[in-house]
Amino acid sequence: MNKFRRAVLWCALVLIILLIVLSIYGAFAGAERAKGFFNSLPLGLYWSALTVMLIAGIGVFRRLVREPALLLIHGGCVLILTGSMWGSAAGHELRKKLLGIEKIPGGKMAIFEGQSDNHVKAEGERGMKELPFHIKLKDFRIEYYKPEYLDIESRQGQHWQVPVEIGGEFSLGADVGTVIITKAFENFKITFEDDKSAAYDDPEPGYNPALEVQIRGPDGGVTTDYVFERYPGHVHPEDKFLLSYHRTVRDYISELAVIKDDKVVLEKNIEVNHPLHFGGYHFYQHSYDEQGRQYTVLEVVSDSGLIWVYAGYLMLCIAVFWHLWLREFAAGRARVRSE
Amino acid sequence: MEVKYTLQGLLIYLAMAAYVAAFVRRLVGREKSGQLLYTFGFAVCCAAFAYRWYSVRHVPMQNLFEVFLSMGLLIYPVSSFCERVLRVGGRCADMLIGTIVLFPAGFVFSAEPQRLPPALQSWLFAPHVAVYVLSYIFMAKATFQASCQLAGKPPCPDGKVLPAEEATYRMIRAGFPLLTLGLVLGSVWGKLAWGDYWGWDPKELWSLASWLVYVGYFHFRYMFGKRHPRINSTWAVAGMAAIVITLLWVNLSRLFSGLHSYAA
Ligand code: HEM
Repeated sequence: MNKFRRAVLWCALVLIILLIVLSIYGAFAGAERAKGFFNSLPLGLYWSALTVMLIAGIGVFRRLVREPALLLIHGGCVLILTGSMWGSAAGHELRKKLLGIEKIPGGKMAIFEGQSDNHVKAEGERGMKELPFHIKLKDFRIEYYKPEYLDIESRQGQHWQVPVEIGGEFSLGADVGTVIITKAFENFKITFEDDKSAAYDDPEPGYNPALEVQIRGPDGGVTTDYVFERYPGHVHPEDKFLLSYHRTVRDYISELAVIKDDKVVLEKNIEVNHPLHFGGYHFYQHSYDEQGRQYTVLEVVSDSGLIWVYAGYLMLCIAVFWHLWLREFAAGRARVRSE
Repeated sequence: MEVKYTLQGLLIYLAMAAYVAAFVRRLVGREKSGQLLYTFGFAVCCAAFAYRWYSVRHVPMQNLFEVFLSMGLLIYPVSSFCERVLRVGGRCADMLIGTIVLFPAGFVFSAEPQRLPPALQSWLFAPHVAVYVLSYIFMAKATFQASCQLAGKPPCPDGKVLPAEEATYRMIRAGFPLLTLGLVLGSVWGKLAWGDYWGWDPKELWSLASWLVYVGYFHFRYMFGKRHPRINSTWAVAGMAAIVITLLWVNLSRLFSGLHSYAA
């Protein structure tokens, strides 16, 4: 190996070791700080140097071109690095300055049910940016795993998990009694009429899930309790049991429509793992109105450079198996056969 | 420490006992009965894995309990494959590795079935974890070979298998594509679930660091060949150390804030 090639390989090795050290530093720093650190200017220089080194390697080592698998491995890394730099916030900024192309790198948008909006709160910027189309939220809902559970704990430390079935009777044992869940509420409210209180499910906007629970003791005495999902640990000194109501979220779903030139051009229900892709942006379910469930919050992410990153991933994956597995295992099989 | 007085726990303890017994038999030169016990341990692991799959009704690779259980299962076919096809020995050590990886499943992590949170309900989830588990086994075998090389003791005095340094290289060649695929699948999944193909959270960064250690190993070995076998082996051991940190420390220590905490 001549001196120049050796120098290139040494540089490559130093850059790889440096990235190992930086990754470990980033892991200690935590996700938020690491993100800022790896997107900073000095690290931008590092990413560029690594890309240049990979290209130099392909230029200098003939085998990296002649061996298709080695070319795909190193070329794939170049694509991943350039694609991710192209898609970064700095890449967007650079394109705006040099080419006049303006695209929002990423941000959030909140949309109320029944309304449409095109305003995005861009990440790290003041004020709102506008998308060239509108997104309408037809409906937002949360789905839960079935069955839901009512947790019961006695003062003596006994514990029961009761599946929520309206009207179903659940025995806590002969010496403790039985439980019946008589009603489930999505938006629990109380009215007072003639000095009497009554619980009801309010159809107006709001969110206060609750259960009405009757506990019948071994002596036949019945007590009625209300258990609230959002307010656990609500006990009176005379209560024999600590009740809590748990639901496990299965999915968050926003029913969306894309509106361009006053026409609906696309409709999709987005969920976690199933984003919407339109007009150069991906829209992800991010969060929602925890109080009233009236609006959804979408994460908007520009798709710039993504195709290059994915192409790089594909090249890299195919090529590492090709280079490191196929030849090895083919030789191994031949060895086994010859024995 | 959590002892499991359940059928699931019983199967795991039985498999562990079979693996340990197989190891001891092999150590005292009882090859045949050692192999028989090893095969029996594997069969019990299959039963434990199938039972888990049946009870949770999804591919059991959701949490660390299931990850370690599947490692205990996969060690046997990997070890046979390596010996027959790749000429890499160390079956005796594999029996011990099998016991070690089953230990956390048996005694450390809870087997309480969990409902999948929305982010984990992805078709990419099971292959992402599965390829990682498989790659970790190859890398564990590489580490064993590298340690033997560092200690100056051949893993197997048998002429049919490769010397330790070469065996380490072959194991890393086998594990690296899987490690790469695991990283890529995780990244594509992250993009679908959270909008970013790279989130810079500690677990991601540790897995990148472990992947890069092996990239460094390949280039160092290309530059110097077998001239510095001890340094080659040190790279391999460092790679495994980074993997162990990726797998355990981030989950257990709760030192870092990040997205991957649900995997604990
Ligand atoms: C930074 C600049 C880099 C340079 C200059 C470089 C150069 C080289 C060279 C010269 C070889 C040996 C080819 C041969 O067998 O003749 C090689 C092999 C290899 N490189 Fe790179 N490389 C770089 C970065 C990377 C990166 C980032 C990866 C990550 C995937 C990578 C993965 C590989 C693999 C898997 C091999 C095959 C190893 C083997 O067969 O033992 N390289 N590289």
